[in-house]
Amino acid sequence: MKNPGWALMRGFWLSWLQYRSFLFILAFGWMIPPLIYMLVWMMVAGSQGIAGFSQGEFVAYYLVLILVNQITYAQTNWTVGDMIRVGEMNRILMRPIAPVYDPLASEIACKIIYLFFDVPLVIVLALILKPQFHIDFTEAALFIPALLAAWALRFLWGYWLALLAFWATKADALLVLQDTLVFLLGGQVAPVLLLPDWMGRLATALPFRYMVAFPVEILTGQVTGTAVLHGFLIQAGWLALAYILTMILWKNGVRRYGAVGG
Amino acid sequence: MTETIIAVKELSKNYRVPVRSEGLMSSLKSLVHPSYSQVKAVEDLNFEIGVGEMVGLIGPNGAGKTTTLKMLSGLLYPTAGEVRVAGYVPWERRPEYLRKISIVLGNKSQMLWDIPSMDSFRVLSEIYMVPEQEFRRTLDDLIDLLDMKDLLTKPVRNLSLGERMKCELTASLLYRPALLFLDEPTLGLDVSMQLRLRQFLKEYNRRNEVTVILTSHYMADVQALCPRVILIHYGKLLYDGALDGLARRLAPFKLIKITLDQKNGKTFQNFNQPDDKVELLEHEENRYVLRVEREQVPSLTARLLQSNSVTDLSIEDPPIEAVMDQIYTGGAA
Repeated sequence: MKNPGWALMRGFWLSWLQYRSFLFILAFGWMIPPLIYMLVWMMVAGSQGIAGFSQGEFVAYYLVLILVNQITYAQTNWTVGDMIRVGEMNRILMRPIAPVYDPLASEIACKIIYLFFDVPLVIVLALILKPQFHIDFTEAALFIPALLAAWALRFLWGYWLALLAFWATKADALLVLQDTLVFLLGGQVAPVLLLPDWMGRLATALPFRYMVAFPVEILTGQVTGTAVLHGFLIQAGWLALAYILTMILWKNGVRRYGAVGG
Repeated sequence: MTETIIAVKELSKNYRVPVRSEGLMSSLKSLVHPSYSQVKAVEDLNFEIGVGEMVGLIGPNGAGKTTTLKMLSGLLYPTAGEVRVAGYVPWERRPEYLRKISIVLGNKSQMLWDIPSMDSFRVLSEIYMVPEQEFRRTLDDLIDLLDMKDLLTKPVRNLSLGERMKCELTASLLYRPALLFLDEPTLGLDVSMQLRLRQFLKEYNRRNEVTVILTSHYMADVQALCPRVILIHYGKLLYDGALDGLARRLAPFKLIKITLDQKNGKTFQNFNQPDDKVELLEHEENRYVLRVEREQVPSLTARLLQSNSVTDLSIEDPPIEAVMDQIYTGGAA
């Protein structure tokens, strides 16, 4: 099969496979914060539960979150700034395919490797910690589009921030800020339902919840009915904005690109 | 000239470069109040290149060569002017255009660093949608021409500089581009690799009628490959034509090498007249190398030969490097 996107993905896949242990360590690192918060909430919940969550439900929530966090985490964005600064963008601009293929292919390729590590680990944890799931078919079906949109949103949001490197030499700091906000408002430190009222409202309005927590909430039955529809609309709105910003920044940034010799 | 494939009209490129003097204080100042200066990298360039030509783009460091190449390939947007390459505006970067051209930048790689080069070639061939049979045939040709069979199974990061350049060239030619932009292709290569590469490029150009523009600081590259050179300096076009014409036009002097007969004890100074524009470049025992203005060459040689003291005499054009040095340092232009 001759397909440029597929070929690129295979190239990245082959390259990433050279770094298996590095990727596994990264994946392990990303798993730690949700694991810690899962243990904290399990302790807090005790045998009585808290705010309607039982211990088993916390386990279910965080185990799903570990996978969703991994699937949606856009690590490629960290390299975009450097590629612009050092001139590596040349390679991508000179290919006869849309430049966005490159980070997309890299994302998908490394995700497959991460999941080889994550899925078995989560299964083992599930066997030990006994999560409580009550999943019905609709929730499972809605989880998939919510997850894909969450990934697209998290990727594009980070991508437009990273593209600011066309103007500022180091735009990486904004990615750190994004990670922090995802951590606070994206359901990692606590499920959004358990956040203080004002923080919960903030989380519902801003894009960060829709990058991780939203699909997890759907699958674990924390959002239902019209709230799901509402969530999808907000998610789609932020996704559209991220897409527009990416397009604008890309178009204008590339014109500025290369204001260095070499 | 054959059919035009590259047309450049009034092409200019300005860069805005942040400037600040050294030290902590000035770095703090530039944080609040950054200052910039405009650098004219390329100014009002005009030229045309025909299908199948091999043209050397030469000039000192920072002359605007790479900037020009990048604009021709579509990596940079110009500040002003027009460029048409194979009927396309390069910086629109249409896929059809990008499949027609290839650019090799000495310090940038298209190879995937960690995997065997063969894997990179395959990925690239699919990105460029080269049919399998054609890919095989082209690759075999290139492996043969560049003698690189052994390199295919090694990861690129384990290759030497020269071996990597072979891979870069192969990667850039896999889809048989009609135009090749080469920025310093022989940088860091040993003498025999340089020779090989030149032979290869010449042969490849002859076989496939590929138009090639190359920049190089090695005049030997340019002499061996490019019947035509475009010289730019401070972003401006200084000369466009044959390489030996450049020497004639921009270096209005020749080198006279003489060996004097030691028996009659005369020195070169005995023949030198006050109004001669002659410079003594080298002197060792009875051998002299003189730099003489072109119009004085006949009279001086006549005088030397009449004196019966000369045992050997030769008149040469100055080495191209010397001419270039004169131009670059502002002597002859």
